[in-house]
Amino acid sequence: MLFPCPFCGPRDETEFHYVGEPKPRPEPAGTVGEADWADYLYVNANPRGPAREIWLHLACMDMFVMTRDTATNAVLGAETPGRAS
Amino acid sequence: MRETNWTPARPARGILAARPGFAARSVAGLGQTLVSGDLDAALAALAPGAPLIGLYGLAPDGAYALRVARDRALLVTPAPIGPADGWRQGWCATAVDDGWAAVDVEGDGAGLVLMQGTSADLAAGSPSAAVLFAGQRVLLARRPNGFRLHVEAPRLEALLKWLDGA
Repeated sequence: MLFPCPFCGPRDETEFHYVGEPKPRPEPAGTVGEADWADYLYVNANPRGPAREIWLHLACMDMFVMTRDTATNAVLGAETPGRAS
Repeated sequence: MRETNWTPARPARGILAARPGFAARSVAGLGQTLVSGDLDAALAALAPGAPLIGLYGLAPDGAYALRVARDRALLVTPAPIGPADGWRQGWCATAVDDGWAAVDVEGDGAGLVLMQGTSADLAAGSPSAAVLFAGQRVLLARRPNGFRLHVEAPRLEALLKWLDGA
């Protein structure tokens, strides 16, 4: 399967590492309780179907968001946050 | 097997691996400099005219730069250039002459080795020369008689072990 690195273009999936779901970190850290930290660290939406996921391309080290259908494995898009791909 | 037993690394000079159809040879004496930031400005200052090449681009005999990422490249020169470390005017240079190894793989069977080593579509090209080859992160360039791999020196022995069995 090919994954689209926003910088390099299509590369084999073995060149990529899954990082996690994109979600805001609870702030400010000093006021966040243990339950909220646990939710942030361990509780994921893990949807069936289109899902936004953070991936790392191990070749160029680009970190990007890929939209992927978790039921079919189809890649629906990829972008680097804050940068036009 | 003890996890602390490391395979002794063979000396990185001369012929490093030889099999029917190909030989892997160390490219000694090169200057290698990691540059970050404004790549155009860095290359203009350190090696004017050196091409910035991507995946499987042709590496000339003179200076060239292999693009690693959007803002990082490995500048390769025929001899070490001894750049001053640190940032200046939007770019940074770090000498890694001995930190990276360069290996030329040549011979009639070099193409088959390339096909075994990576699944990347080399004909399609890519802005970054970085690719997984035999499971190792390398920078891959084309040479008239084969291909050249630049790899971080600690990973060289693992790469050669793979070439021994290719």
